[in-house]
Amino acid sequence: MAGGRSTRPVTIVTGFLGSGKTTLLGRVLSEPSMSNTAVLVNEFGEVGLDHHLLRRVDERAVLLGGGCVCCTTREDLVEALLELLDLDQRGEIPRLDRVVVETTGLADPAPILHTIFADPVLQHHFSVDLVLTTVDAINGDLHLDRNPESVKQVAAADKIVVTKTDVAEPNAVRSLLCRLGAINPSAHVLEAAFGETDAAELFRLDGAGYRAVPKAFDGEPHDAGETHSVSLTFDGSVDWTAFGIWLSMLLYARGEDVLRVKGLLDVGESGPVVVNGVQHTIHPPEHLNRWPEENHHSRIVFIARGIRPEELLGSLEAFHGLLGARPLPLGAEQSVPSS
Amino acid sequence: MCVLCGQDFVAQVHWTDRHLEDRAREAAPGSDPVALQGERRRDRAHRVALTNEILRHYGLKLDDWGGSKYFLRDGKGRSELVQDLGSLWPAAERLAGRTLDPLEPALVGETLGEEPAFVAAEGG
Repeated sequence: MAGGRSTRPVTIVTGFLGSGKTTLLGRVLSEPSMSNTAVLVNEFGEVGLDHHLLRRVDERAVLLGGGCVCCTTREDLVEALLELLDLDQRGEIPRLDRVVVETTGLADPAPILHTIFADPVLQHHFSVDLVLTTVDAINGDLHLDRNPESVKQVAAADKIVVTKTDVAEPNAVRSLLCRLGAINPSAHVLEAAFGETDAAELFRLDGAGYRAVPKAFDGEPHDAGETHSVSLTFDGSVDWTAFGIWLSMLLYARGEDVLRVKGLLDVGESGPVVVNGVQHTIHPPEHLNRWPEENHHSRIVFIARGIRPEELLGSLEAFHGLLGARPLPLGAEQSVPSS
Repeated sequence: MCVLCGQDFVAQVHWTDRHLEDRAREAAPGSDPVALQGERRRDRAHRVALTNEILRHYGLKLDDWGGSKYFLRDGKGRSELVQDLGSLWPAAERLAGRTLDPLEPALVGETLGEEPAFVAAEGG
């Protein structure tokens, strides 16, 4: 809490080079409801953004000793957010409603999450409520085939905005949507032609955001590939302490390959625990007082690279004595084509 | 480090400890601190018991250390103090000489914690 108000929401907008991040932001920021939104960008692109709370940050990552890429601290971001916090608290800018961080096209969003969760000051004043990923309907398939960063960006997304649908073949759009659903069944997918989308819908957390309930992928199965996703539930309440031990152990051993963990976990309390992680970085788990919907069963999605769904299920099965419940796969297990 | 009690100030709370931190912070002003303390101790003892079910496969053992840290040791008498689960796994890797991976087939073939796990926090 900061001065009687909850933390300031941060939205991360990511997407591959030329996928329409800046166009989308340009449209959205022109809406009056977004006037108290600060924007941090890495580069002023050709599409000029015109906004009074626009700041440019130079990507400066500090790799922690022995750390991996996802556990780096973005010093530039710390400085920029502290400056905004200072201005907000001194009343020199209108009360901040939201901060939008636009990443470079090649960026891995995990270090941004890590920076905000790990910084001793920022963690009390800011929270990441949404990761938005733009995917270009024309070149999206190509980016996903050739660039592992692009797959990471889709896996990290809470909402995926498919851009340029106005100029793409309808069949190609359908195929891309199916592929995106297979990579990240927990993300809410929107389409934006000409960068047109409703700001309220884009930033609304109902049905998306970190509390969203993941759904099992119901599209057609794809050929085997590197990236797999598995949605699962448990046959009873899970011991939260045991799950924390298992997940922290998994993330230490294989964190760079666990692209995403997202779900609601029944821990035998009145509400579930929200679990949301991108590689080694876990959102502070929130114990909700009540379930957001009628279904009171655990649902959790794992998106992993080079880890087969049966390995994850086998491990959870071996741990069932500690967890207090057995894992059950939800829907068909999916694998995502790497090419 | 506090010069009086020798404790480190922990700026970062590991995500597995967040629920207890949050509960303590949200507790009403008049609430009983002893009850919260008891809950925290029970939680730590439970964590130690569960973690030992895994660690014994690697010849390691964990104890609660004064309710603030954990004491990890191997059969050769080597030991490390760790703050939380985030620092436990790298320390366990150093002592065991290999990464503790929950996906490794040797562990997956086992059924961990089949017997009811009793609290093994005999250390201080």
